[in-house]
Amino acid sequence: MRHPLPRLERIAVTAAGVVTPIGQDLDTFWSGLLTGADGISQIERFPVADLRVGQGGEIKKLMRAVDWRRVPDCRATRLLVSAAHDLWAQAGQGPLDVEPERLGVVVGTALGGVEEGERALSDSPRRLGRALYDAPGHGLARWLGSRGPVVTVSTACASGATALGIGAEMLRRGEADAVIAGGYDILCRFVMRGFNGLRSLTRDRVRPFDRRRSGLLLGEAAALLLLRREREAGPRRLGTLLGCGSAGDASHIAAPDPQGRGIERAMRAALAEACVDAADIDFVSAHGTATPLNDPIEAAALRRVLGSRAGAVPVNSIKGAFGHAMGAAAALEAIVCLLAGRHGQIPATLGLEERDSACDLDCVQDAPRALRPRLSLSTSLGFGGCNAALVLESA
Amino acid sequence: MPAPAMRAPRIRALGLLSGWGRGAAALPLDASRAAAGRSMLTVERPALDPERFRRSRRECLMGVAAVRAMLEDAGLGPEAIAGERTALLFSTAAAYAPSNREFIEARGGSMYFPYTAVAAVPAEVAIEFGLTGPYEILVGGSPATMRCIVRAAALLEAGACDRALVLAVEVFEECADLFESVRPPFEGPLVEAAACLLLEPGEGVLTFERLRGGKDGGGVRGRLGEMLACEPLATLALARETAGKGPVQVNGSWRGEITRLQWSGSPYRTRPRAA
Repeated sequence: MRHPLPRLERIAVTAAGVVTPIGQDLDTFWSGLLTGADGISQIERFPVADLRVGQGGEIKKLMRAVDWRRVPDCRATRLLVSAAHDLWAQAGQGPLDVEPERLGVVVGTALGGVEEGERALSDSPRRLGRALYDAPGHGLARWLGSRGPVVTVSTACASGATALGIGAEMLRRGEADAVIAGGYDILCRFVMRGFNGLRSLTRDRVRPFDRRRSGLLLGEAAALLLLRREREAGPRRLGTLLGCGSAGDASHIAAPDPQGRGIERAMRAALAEACVDAADIDFVSAHGTATPLNDPIEAAALRRVLGSRAGAVPVNSIKGAFGHAMGAAAALEAIVCLLAGRHGQIPATLGLEERDSACDLDCVQDAPRALRPRLSLSTSLGFGGCNAALVLESA
Repeated sequence: MPAPAMRAPRIRALGLLSGWGRGAAALPLDASRAAAGRSMLTVERPALDPERFRRSRRECLMGVAAVRAMLEDAGLGPEAIAGERTALLFSTAAAYAPSNREFIEARGGSMYFPYTAVAAVPAEVAIEFGLTGPYEILVGGSPATMRCIVRAAALLEAGACDRALVLAVEVFEECADLFESVRPPFEGPLVEAAACLLLEPGEGVLTFERLRGGKDGGGVRGRLGEMLACEPLATLALARETAGKGPVQVNGSWRGEITRLQWSGSPYRTRPRAA
């Protein structure tokens, strides 16, 4: 007989920072989502002329006033540092009130420093050390002055969610007093070639849950959240990370389980860890990649989990705005959940115009919806049958 | 600050394949001497069903073979671990490097892109054994594997699973030249390995701590060679042979972080949890 999970110590999210194609700080990112900013463009940073699809959510120039001389010339590390710079500004504080040894860093990524590997193998062998997947996370830790634990997670496109769960557990276990957790990934030839080869990229726009959806586009971003034990967090906070669940599909190396059983188990595990009933969920920030396979599978799993309320819980996907940000996606979506609660608005799903009966959910469409969700659910699916879900409570 | 303690899981079984051979008995007393001038000891591509694994890479097959070795050690069939009550925690520092390199250099030209993901190894293992429970993947050396064990202990203690597999795989052969050019100076050989630990709920005490200026894995590395993420599991395999029921301690290091994992047989006393 299974017992209910024990109630875990609550983990507060006290600040967040982002760098995305639609905004390089939290406020611009949020207003971009609300106003329908389109971050998709022709990729310019590397050659794409030989690829079937050369569009994506590319960040054209890093705008934050960081002293880049202190940061390795590695784009992935620089995205992380940009997001951390924003997080520091959002937190409105100088150095944290924790010892450097007690500040942890947990980042998720699908690609790590692979672009450095590309460059090392072509003409810059000295870059090889940065090609390991955990190199950008350590680069971020050095920039932060952290001498605490540095962990890199790679559950493909669910990495950001897994990283938040591991960061929370690191705090509960007492390994750190503050954890900066989230995810990142960049656009590079490696990943563009790969997804082009899989024919998963659309030549149309990204249309999550739309009848005409024909695939995803990739985007680059980094998103970080500052986690503290709630009793030490102080009054200023975005919300609380209540639960994180994960599950394997054991189905296919690249495609999701056709019945969505893995993401369903991950959602149920997150709800159980959060001690929250599905009936109490006010909003779902969905994975919603806009591939023909993902969206109906995810919708069916959501309907099973949400039960009779499935048609009444607003759902959105932010991937229409700047593509699938891979390792950053789940952390961005967690931030969207918390900002929706703070601002009382749920961003519309950019690209969704014609609803698909196979994705029978209350998708927020056309314009933001005025609603202040208290409890939100975020879902993530990745290559290799990686599934993860988060339950968050807005402040 | 004292190392936080948690309820230790019980080690039910351990499967180890390495460049030295199968199991702890194959491990040498001195890696450099046993290597006899070889800079690398490799593991042959396991002979698994060629149709089922037609697109799989060597590192994936090594992961599957390590789980089979663990099941043999446990005296269990694969049905004993199938399902949603088994967690899978995977750790590697660099098992993705050969696939990434091949894809970048387009050697062979037809590599299936999803196999470049770190997640490819646990995916093949999960598919082969029907593992649908909690699922996490960490990238790094010894400390990453130790954290997988700690995560497994947390999941077991919370009741999120009934058993947990901690799997680590490292392959070097296809990127031997690259590893030689970037790894820190170490006299011993690179040793490919795949190892799988089966953990079940236990009653002892597990502590995990980060050490300042303590001993890193140098001692055991001198014995085993450089196994990166597989090192803690190989160390546990050795400890099971020699330590009996006494405390078991594993040290390891990666990128300047030195960590220690310690099992003690003393009964674990539950701390009150904050609500």
